[in-house]
Amino acid sequence: MKLTALATTLFLAASAALLTACGDDPAKSAGADGSAPQRLVVWWFQWAPADGLQELGREFQKESGIEVVVEQIPLGSYQEKVFLEFGAGRTRFDIVIGDSQWIGRGATKGLYLELTDWLPTVVDLATIHPRAAKYLCEYPEGSGKWFAAPCETDAVGLAYRKDWFEDPAEQAAFQARFGRALQVPGTWQEFAEVAEFFQRPDAKRFGCSLPSDRSYDGLTMGVQNLLWAFGGRWHAETSNRVVGELDTPESAAAIEFYKRLVKLGPKGAERLDYGQVLESFTNGSTAMILNYFAFFPGIHAQFGDRVGFAVVPAHAGRRVASLGGQGLSISTKTPPAQQELAKKFIAWFLQRRVQEQWITKPAGFTANADILASAEFRAKTPYNAPFAESVDTMRDFWNVPVFNELLSVTQRYVGMAVDGELPTEEALKQLAIEKERILKDAGLL
Amino acid sequence: MSPDSAPARRRGAGIAWGLVGPVLLLLVAFNVFPLVYNVVLSFTSRELVGDDWRWVGGANYERVFTDPLFAGALRRTALFVLCAVGAELVLGFVLALALVRGFRGKGAVLAVVLVPMMLSPAVMGLFGALVLNGNYGVLNQILGGLGLPQPQWLSDRGLKFWSVVLIDVWMWTPFMTLIALAGLSSIPAQVHEAAAIDRASRWRVFTRITLPMTAPLLGLAVLLRATDALKQFDLVMATTGPNDAATQTLSTLLYQVVFRDGKVGLGAAFACVVLVVVIALATVFTRYLEHLRRAREA
Repeated sequence: MKLTALATTLFLAASAALLTACGDDPAKSAGADGSAPQRLVVWWFQWAPADGLQELGREFQKESGIEVVVEQIPLGSYQEKVFLEFGAGRTRFDIVIGDSQWIGRGATKGLYLELTDWLPTVVDLATIHPRAAKYLCEYPEGSGKWFAAPCETDAVGLAYRKDWFEDPAEQAAFQARFGRALQVPGTWQEFAEVAEFFQRPDAKRFGCSLPSDRSYDGLTMGVQNLLWAFGGRWHAETSNRVVGELDTPESAAAIEFYKRLVKLGPKGAERLDYGQVLESFTNGSTAMILNYFAFFPGIHAQFGDRVGFAVVPAHAGRRVASLGGQGLSISTKTPPAQQELAKKFIAWFLQRRVQEQWITKPAGFTANADILASAEFRAKTPYNAPFAESVDTMRDFWNVPVFNELLSVTQRYVGMAVDGELPTEEALKQLAIEKERILKDAGLL
Repeated sequence: MSPDSAPARRRGAGIAWGLVGPVLLLLVAFNVFPLVYNVVLSFTSRELVGDDWRWVGGANYERVFTDPLFAGALRRTALFVLCAVGAELVLGFVLALALVRGFRGKGAVLAVVLVPMMLSPAVMGLFGALVLNGNYGVLNQILGGLGLPQPQWLSDRGLKFWSVVLIDVWMWTPFMTLIALAGLSSIPAQVHEAAAIDRASRWRVFTRITLPMTAPLLGLAVLLRATDALKQFDLVMATTGPNDAATQTLSTLLYQVVFRDGKVGLGAAFACVVLVVVIALATVFTRYLEHLRRAREA
């Protein structure tokens, strides 16, 4: 009997020790009890701006004594980790820098702290670019209900090989073939022609690369630059109605044009994630890429004056850039004391002097409208002026709570259209029906 | 006090429960409870985050059986199991036949053959993605060097699925080889000697002795591999991602539904249906093995 009791006791003790070892004591990392050093944990995905934010965090610590730790999560698993964390009673982060599309889920599921009353007390909301406010911070869009403060503002832009464009031999050949000068494309038609001109697979030189990956949102973010420019739309302007709005000749024409463009890239161009698009350019093989501005400082550092930057092309006078970027949201599942620390950091971060520091960090792009409009900012780098111009035209995909389901079906059906598995019109028709089903299930239609 | 006395029986039962109890507790905690909880979840609208859920009856199951995504993933998974496990069985057996006889360096050859099986599926998937990359993959470099066409293994819609099958075959053929080798080695030498005395042809020896006598072990290997292939996840995630219409399997669809879309209730219903499918297949296989055993005994 003693043996049994001893075995049971040992087992229970070992189990308890194991569970204690596996568990993370939130109080340990919180450190907001006055005696322990104050520490703020920010989660963001792994990329250059997160390093810049960490540097700013050190500045903040010097001024306030509050330590800021920016934990960088690999992009591929970032979303899953964040929302699994929200499923717990207490998040390990105090601030999450969430993708713009997450805001509906964060706001309606009670995950993001509402900042509507507090934010105007620390920053003049008029200084935040209205499109950044609408898509990165407010839910519903433009409602004036704030659930995030702008952190990284981003949009899709165009990077091109300036040295190739300025090569007299190339210019003469282009002039002879198209009857016009070789210039940075202002329209999608011009973009396609320039891409066709530079598409020389035998010489390992390619026309263009666009985001087209199917695993998360690459294809959608690539296609929607054309979709909106061609007069298409994901849904009606004033409602969530999709059938009859998305499945239009304009949307189909945009996707057909996109199909034409992916054939003017390197092998496998119909399936490139943002990193692969970047690589196709930095390996010196591709004339033009569409990608987020946040990647462009790295390109400029590598190529210097041999590279140029521009806004995305237009169609029939319409120019729309896919929005990127993320906002700073405070977790509702962190103690009030930590939420107060988070507010202190956000208030500090939004100051103009700090935003001016932020834009000096690698790929740190601001939403401060005054800075964006300043001649000094625009002249500072070759990509700042087109970036500021792009912010004026940027739009976002759905950011309703079921955005992920909408994104999944969009990636799937647009992918089938691009791959030729379904005729484009049919793919759009099925996509519209599927989206309305998701929206109805979610009570949004 | 006799060993059959009541106190002795109680002490024996106490020791037995003391030893078995912790295991039972773990089984209930990690197997029974999650299973029951999953079934309960499948009748709710629970999401990954948020507490606003309700009972939805059989709505999730209705969605599972009417959603073309599920039917597509089921078809794709079945095709995957059939092709991958079939190819692994044939190749593994052929390799085992080649390796069963002793030769110099057999140990080294066997070790090299077994390497892919020893690596984790995630590593094999990433490695496969590198090898099959359309632009800089080793395979296309070799094909280019030989002047042959360089297909886009992981982006061509007609090739993506077969590329994943190829990586799986690369990884798991050694497993079949290993089991087949064990089966071949277990055939008594006297049986072959008797066949030789009877001047049985090689083909006759193969069809009447080798194959029937290794069949039970091969059946077991097929059962293990088929149940594993039914759960195919890592290779698809590492090569094409969970949302590719050409390669989405039941497990990656489940991942997409639960972790990307956050639909835990719906995901639980998907999981229950998958579980029933797996149990049904496993039952068929085990009955087949039992049939083989009885036939052998008879």
